Amino acid sequence: MEHYPFSENSINSSIAFRSLVNATSYPGRTFQINKLNKPSVLSNAAATILITLCDNESNVYLSKDYNTEEVRNWLIFNTGAIISNKKNADFVIGTWKSLLPLNEFKIGVPEYPERSATLIIEETKYKKVKCSIDGPGIKNKLHIDLPNPELFIENNNLYPLGLDFYFTNDLEILSIPRSTKINVINSEY
Amino acid sequence: MNEMSKNENLDIQIYNFAYLDENTKRMIRRALLKALCIPGYQVPFSSREMPMPYGWGTGGIQVTSACLIPKDVLKVIDQGADDTTNAVSIRKFFQKTANVAVTEKTSDASLIQTRHRIPETKLKEKQILVYQVPIPEPLRFLEPREVETRKMHALSEYGLMYVKLYEDIAKHGHIETAYAYPVKTNGNYVTDPSPIPKFDNPKMNNSPAIQLFGAGREQRIYAIPPYTNVKSLDFEDYPFEAMKANFKCSICGSSNSYLDEIIVSDDGKRSYICSDTDYCKEQTKLNSKKEDQL
Repeated sequence: MEHYPFSENSINSSIAFRSLVNATSYPGRTFQINKLNKPSVLSNAAATILITLCDNESNVYLSKDYNTEEVRNWLIFNTGAIISNKKNADFVIGTWKSLLPLNEFKIGVPEYPERSATLIIEETKYKKVKCSIDGPGIKNKLHIDLPNPELFIENNNLYPLGLDFYFTNDLEILSIPRSTKINVINSEY
Repeated sequence: MNEMSKNENLDIQIYNFAYLDENTKRMIRRALLKALCIPGYQVPFSSREMPMPYGWGTGGIQVTSACLIPKDVLKVIDQGADDTTNAVSIRKFFQKTANVAVTEKTSDASLIQTRHRIPETKLKEKQILVYQVPIPEPLRFLEPREVETRKMHALSEYGLMYVKLYEDIAKHGHIETAYAYPVKTNGNYVTDPSPIPKFDNPKMNNSPAIQLFGAGREQRIYAIPPYTNVKSLDFEDYPFEAMKANFKCSICGSSNSYLDEIIVSDDGKRSYICSDTDYCKEQTKLNSKKEDQL
């Protein structure tokens, strides 16, 4: 049993999903994820998203640091997901820099805006810009640090099309869906 | 006795936690998250056959199944009441398949499945409200073709809906629609709030709770995230009005809650009582406390 990602699959996947629902419902706020058995290069939070949501219909793009044999074997064995290119990916995993430019990922079509990629951004080692965010799920404006806010503003301008982001760091998860409006507070770049 | 306990164990093993299998849950969970990212947009999903007939909440029950965690405290209401057939059977279903705690108290519940009402008691952050939806497409009665309604949503072309509301005014002098009153979610998609009375529409706006909608037969899931602008469609000169019967509840005396009309005698005498049974009980308790103090 200890080789499976979750010790008690149906219970732990439900708890993991609740964290994802909360994170997606309240963008810009950090939510906690539990530990699981996963490849060392992946964070617990990123691994949890993949294990909870992916199956044999999911195209996953692994950027170069994550496209290792260990990750591929773990993902395919546990979910049956398809390792795919950028263009077809439903789920994308990588560090911020490795995923740029963003315009190669699918943003959905006007009739089916949900046919768009979900980006999982690992690590927080990017150049941070202070932003204030607003929109669905945010009671009063929140202040958070984002990399290249102009790209998130561009993404929000595509609404209701666009990409949905999860920032993952060890046991923490934070979401910026396409509906979130971004304002730069201090623009040093 | 031994036989029985064996069977009980079997019951638990037959079902995955909260009934649905993990693959189905994954598919529903993906749809739910995209629905939260695109407020008011109806995400298609491959709805499963559930152990109840269509129209009894097969959509809501699938959403609840995909969301439940063991720690949840579940409340199920049907037209505001905890003790009607549909509510009782769905509550028992999840007690059996997920072994979760249940409650009738709105403030104690972490997940509420509802048919056609929003509780009177204000909802809190992280509470999840799951709606059972019969027809998720607000434009369906105006345009039967799915290809067309999909295009209309894509183009935000909602003139037809306004014409319908205008015709109401032309015919009746006011907007006649009293339930399933269409709303615009996050300034973009026109959304069906499910057949709740329009009295409840304002409660959807800027709610701290998470609102999820499941339509089983029609195979659609949609969502209204917390703190989202939900505006009931109207005209400048005919603004939206949340109405209810202009009486007091004959049990608790509340004049703020939505009332059901009941006929109490053979000669057609009428009485009005709260549709939200939990709210009515709370008000009655408050009243008796006040009387005690006097």
